[in-house]
Amino acid sequence: MSLLDALPTPRIRWEGQHPNVVLISLSLVMLCAFWTVDVVSLAPNRIVMGTGYGALEAFGWPGVVLITLLLSSIGLFACQPTLPHYRALLTVVVGLMALMPVGLIASGLLLIDPELPQARLGIGTAYWVVLFVLMLCLVEIRLRLNLTRLWPTLLLTGVALVWWLCAALWLDNLALVQEFRARDRQFLTAVGQHIRLVSIAVGVSVVLGLLLAMLMRRYARLQKGAFTLLNFLQTIPSLALFGLLLAPLAWLAAKVPFLAQLGVSGIGTTPALIALIAYSLLPMVRNTYIALEEVSPDTLEAAKGMGMRAGQRFWQVRLPLALPVLLEGVRITTVQAIGLTAVAALIGAGGLGTFIFQGLGQAAMDMVLLGALPILIMALVVDAGLGALAEALRPGGH
Amino acid sequence: MIELSHVSKRFDTEIAVDDISLRVPKGKFCALVGTSGCGKSTTLRMINRLIEHSGGEIILDGQAIEAYDPVKLRRRIGYVIQHTGLFPHWRVARNIGLVPRLLKWPAAEVQARVEELMGLLGLPVGEFGHKYPHQLSGGQAQRVGVARALAADPDILLMDEPFGALDPITREKLQDELAKLQARMQKTVLFVTHDMDEALKLADHLVVMRDGRIVQQGTPLALLQHPADPFVESLLGGLERGLKQAALTRVRDHMTSMGPTLPAQSRIPADFSLRQALSMMLRDHSDRLTVVDQHDVPIGELTLRRIIKEAQFDRGSSRE
Repeated sequence: MSLLDALPTPRIRWEGQHPNVVLISLSLVMLCAFWTVDVVSLAPNRIVMGTGYGALEAFGWPGVVLITLLLSSIGLFACQPTLPHYRALLTVVVGLMALMPVGLIASGLLLIDPELPQARLGIGTAYWVVLFVLMLCLVEIRLRLNLTRLWPTLLLTGVALVWWLCAALWLDNLALVQEFRARDRQFLTAVGQHIRLVSIAVGVSVVLGLLLAMLMRRYARLQKGAFTLLNFLQTIPSLALFGLLLAPLAWLAAKVPFLAQLGVSGIGTTPALIALIAYSLLPMVRNTYIALEEVSPDTLEAAKGMGMRAGQRFWQVRLPLALPVLLEGVRITTVQAIGLTAVAALIGAGGLGTFIFQGLGQAAMDMVLLGALPILIMALVVDAGLGALAEALRPGGH
Repeated sequence: MIELSHVSKRFDTEIAVDDISLRVPKGKFCALVGTSGCGKSTTLRMINRLIEHSGGEIILDGQAIEAYDPVKLRRRIGYVIQHTGLFPHWRVARNIGLVPRLLKWPAAEVQARVEELMGLLGLPVGEFGHKYPHQLSGGQAQRVGVARALAADPDILLMDEPFGALDPITREKLQDELAKLQARMQKTVLFVTHDMDEALKLADHLVVMRDGRIVQQGTPLALLQHPADPFVESLLGGLERGLKQAALTRVRDHMTSMGPTLPAQSRIPADFSLRQALSMMLRDHSDRLTVVDQHDVPIGELTLRRIIKEAQFDRGSSRE
């Protein structure tokens, strides 16, 4: 979301509005997807590939008419984008998102033969496309209405709650829900492991990053060498880095029993953490360094001239002024670490990646989704949360 | 009192400040003037030890500055810089209270002092205290900068081109206010500027610098009368020198008692400058002005002939 947020905010001009071409196109994309691509799929059991169903079969005529109307209303409102129309658009978009699980319930009732209770309902391509495009619409509307990040975050949390409720109460047949039910303990453990790995990696790299950046500011010569090394680390493919650490760490654990007692081994958490920290250091150090360097020399000169001691200048002036840019670094690092931790499952570090690789091995796409979706959600939540925090901490609130 | 004797500063091979000596007596206003890169800012920053000098002696209130702890030294010297250097993440009131807080004044005293200074500089606390620096205009921001420098009531004030970034109208207004403040507070001020008019207007003592050396120093009037070389003369405005000199001289000091003839139509207050008198003569096509006191009562007259005859202005200057 933040990538789209980075687009320049358009000036609001309500008088003499041009049609909002972005929203009109997005509405057309959604209509096309809804009418042409599979909405849901149905498989008699876990192994067999599902059969795809279009909108008409999945929702019946009333559903199709209702959703078509709602989707076209987005394009129609966008033809005359006034303030009330944008508000209506916000309602329609959020409403549609909240309506999506209801659609799944409906199609479950329509399609599933009560004689075959093991049947599994899969979410089809059209669903994903519409969900993604609705998110884009939300970003566009947020910019036009000049809302802070808080609003969409609150609205999306509400939508997520609706999804959760529907899934828990009425969507027993959804493949994703069944995959979850079959291994809910495992799932929670994996989420915990994932969060733990990411937190430790990010926490360590924040501290290390700050120290390294401060050292680099003190010893200019260190700067070039350190950045070269960190850049080099970043270019090693993650899979290769995990593999490369295997041999030396296993050797170390065998030679030094103390390290082995600490949990160092060729596979598992230790190499995963080392690799994650190695990757996290570059964005962390780079942003911290730039953040600290970017503070206006006039401000620092004044701080010194007023008689602030070095420590006071750092903690009261340099660091608070660097904090927004520094938090950007934490945000980038965390989002990257959330994704990378998935790969760490390959060397036995656990986490949500376990489901992805197991699912891939068993050709069970729903299980892959069970691992991938929470990763996606975690990344989005962290991105939005830290982005909002950095925004709130801008010096003097601007 | 600030005293520099044979002070120099070397950066590697380059000599930034070369053997300069100057004295600013307590309560006096000294301006360091020169083109950019002449070492005037370096000289200023050596006094609060933002730059350490490499030769000579700098003495503050009878003690060499090396004898002070640099941090404590800076806390007793007010410092104003061109781009204000206000902390963008602190509100105005907190910015002003910085040095008193560093000196661990009780919170209530800091608060009272901040309010006093904001009143003094024409920034109502209710309106400005809670603003952030980016919400201020250039002139307001530099008022805050001056208030911050004055907060702990230092005897010495160092000002490094404080009005250099302001538009001409705001600049002139702040100069006038600074002159008034100085008349009231009698700080020992060292003021760096490249604007000769600003220096002439504010300073008791003028120091002209070039390539790290002092070319000439003295009262503004002395420099105007006898510039040491063509460089100082050009800084002083070349042909405009006569008018600048006139600007430093009061009408009061050159008027004569009323003649037997009818008083002239045009009236000029006695504390205006001769420059303003000349301008009025040109405007009113008259070679004679009636001088009035603050109640608009005629107290004498001023003639063009007399202004020109006494063009040396070397007697009875109000600046002496």
